[in-house]
Amino acid sequence: MIPRFTFHLSWLLLAAYVHAASLSLQSPRFTITSSDATQLRSDTLSLTKKPEPLTLSASDTLKLTFQVTESGEGKGVQPHQTFLRFYDSVSGEEGIQPVRVTPGGKAKFELNMARPPASLPPTSDRPLTVSLILGSYVHEPAKYDLFDLYVPASSTSASHPDAALFQELPTIVHTFRPEQKLPPKFVSAVFAALVLSPWAVLLSLWAKVGVSVPHLLSLRIFPFTLLLGAFEGLLFWYWVDLKLGQVLLYGGILAVPTVFAGKTALATTGKWRAGKH
Amino acid sequence: MRIFGSALVSLLVLAGKVLAKSSSGDSVLVLLDPSLDKADYSIFFSGLEKRGYDLTFRAPKDTSPVISEYDVPNYSHVILFTPDTKTYASDITPQSLVGLLSENTNLLIALSPKQTPLTSLATEFSLIPPPPGTPLVSHHPKRPEPATVIPVPVSSSPILTAGTPPVWFSGAPHALGNSPYLVPILRAPAESFAADSTEDSGADAIIEAADKGGEGLWAGSQMSLVTGFQTTKNSRVVFAGGVELFSDEYARKELPSGTPSGNAQFARDIAAWVLQETLTLRIDSTEHHRVNETLAPEMYTINDQIVYTAHISSYDRRTSTWKPYSGITDMQLEFTMLDPHVRIALPPVAGEPGKYEVQFRAPDRHGVFKFVVGWRRNGYSFLHTSTTVPVVPPRHDEYPRFLSAAWPYYAGAISTSAGFFLFAALWLAGDVKGEKKNLKGAKSE
Repeated sequence: MIPRFTFHLSWLLLAAYVHAASLSLQSPRFTITSSDATQLRSDTLSLTKKPEPLTLSASDTLKLTFQVTESGEGKGVQPHQTFLRFYDSVSGEEGIQPVRVTPGGKAKFELNMARPPASLPPTSDRPLTVSLILGSYVHEPAKYDLFDLYVPASSTSASHPDAALFQELPTIVHTFRPEQKLPPKFVSAVFAALVLSPWAVLLSLWAKVGVSVPHLLSLRIFPFTLLLGAFEGLLFWYWVDLKLGQVLLYGGILAVPTVFAGKTALATTGKWRAGKH
Repeated sequence: MRIFGSALVSLLVLAGKVLAKSSSGDSVLVLLDPSLDKADYSIFFSGLEKRGYDLTFRAPKDTSPVISEYDVPNYSHVILFTPDTKTYASDITPQSLVGLLSENTNLLIALSPKQTPLTSLATEFSLIPPPPGTPLVSHHPKRPEPATVIPVPVSSSPILTAGTPPVWFSGAPHALGNSPYLVPILRAPAESFAADSTEDSGADAIIEAADKGGEGLWAGSQMSLVTGFQTTKNSRVVFAGGVELFSDEYARKELPSGTPSGNAQFARDIAAWVLQETLTLRIDSTEHHRVNETLAPEMYTINDQIVYTAHISSYDRRTSTWKPYSGITDMQLEFTMLDPHVRIALPPVAGEPGKYEVQFRAPDRHGVFKFVVGWRRNGYSFLHTSTTVPVVPPRHDEYPRFLSAAWPYYAGAISTSAGFFLFAALWLAGDVKGEKKNLKGAKSE
């Protein structure tokens, strides 16, 4: 137990002696120049407050200069990792651009929108947050939020052909042929009335002249009349509902008594005409 | 009494083993590098065994047990913890592993910064590994561990338990291609990057590599450390950038903030996804019929009102059974003849779990149509079903009858019938006026 305790204690003492200095940023400056070398904006960057968002148009150039130093001594160092991170927080697109740093800690970065680096992520009309990530094997790491940057929107990249299947596709509604239009019902009614008008004439004339039907209910001819009416009814039923096979069947069944009734009826009228009356 | 007690215990243990198994089989083949010790991964493996899986261990160069014989896989799942192996036995090749995926076998593959056959397999799945020998390095956050051992925050995902603490990772990242079948599970932290230098003087090498390489620098949160891929046959493969993610040492290591790491929980969650326990869905049955009927007719007529029903269930790992699932809100039904003629939402029916129903009108084109339901979402099993039905034009007696335009004709025909009947009745019933020598006597009307 005791040797292990002293072993751990010796590590603690060693840790107390080694105090890794942390990296810090000195004199960060940015400059935006347009394509004809006029300076559009130039300023130092404050590490505590972000400046107004920077805007680059399609031909502008952004130059960023700073020096990486050890905090406390102010000596320039070249850290292992000096990356600029361009990040769109809404779409999640990110681009990492390493920045070349001299052994004395001086760094310069140039972003020419006419020839943008491959590390610039796809952009839209939203700003990119630009931050600086410093990392080192011997110093404590540091991260600084520098500024927000508006760049022209990039064209969308080609997507995989199956990517559309992973989303809801647009609804398709079938366009049906319009319903067939019929002529107005009033016109049909008028012409139906026209077709039925002779009945009106007939009925009015009959009312004047009078119909004599003395033998209507005679037992010899009434069944035939009835069966004839049944045939008409069967025909109407066929029009409304029945199929051909059914109507032939019922008609066949109905035909048998009709034949006998008809023979009787005709014989009876024949006898009447021959002289019974 | 003691016998009863032990019987009860063994019954409970057996019951515990029976619970929470995969929906597609329990046999797992684990290929372990000879340089790795099984005991170093005991938390992960014993977790799998406790959930009811049969693990078989094998070295990559052993010739038995083979992973598949005569194109039939011998195991339901294969785990490859072989980050350092450059040559395998003859039954394990990238082609045979892809063949396993076609036969519905799932794979869990651990990669490494070294160039192995598995790295070239990963490129087939739209993963872009960094140059060989460049492990993931991150100087943030400040910690006593070396820069290659990185605590990675876990973002929310349907695959992972909410609130999983950051996990320790060491290995290689990979960039993702644009395949939609990829399921990124763990993204690299924004400050991390792949580099082979171990001193600050390596900074220039990083800049040169970034300028020269076509892919640029493998850095930032666009990199992925653990990525899944689901094939169209619903078999799953997970590529993890390093095998230490699953080790006991990382599961027990504390994070820089002092809390325990999420490695054990994370390893359990990705194992559950790969082994087809979670996010596993299937279509149980589909039905289609006309609106007021229950049986599917042999054929539909154009302009019919059709009702289509689908029953979907998801695998419940707690009870190892398939339970009806009504959680899909964006499923769509397509009624297709070469191209979709109708595409509508297929919503779940409230009150009937697992049932999705929609009613629509058949198009007025006749032909052979298909009811197609194809649902693909990242991380979930793909659902696909297709039912073919004929749609015919109306038969001769299915057209509208008794049109208003035909009233005059109805009136005429009925008049004729009525007139005939009336004439016959009146003639038979009428009086024969007297006797005449010519029988063409006056007949009454």
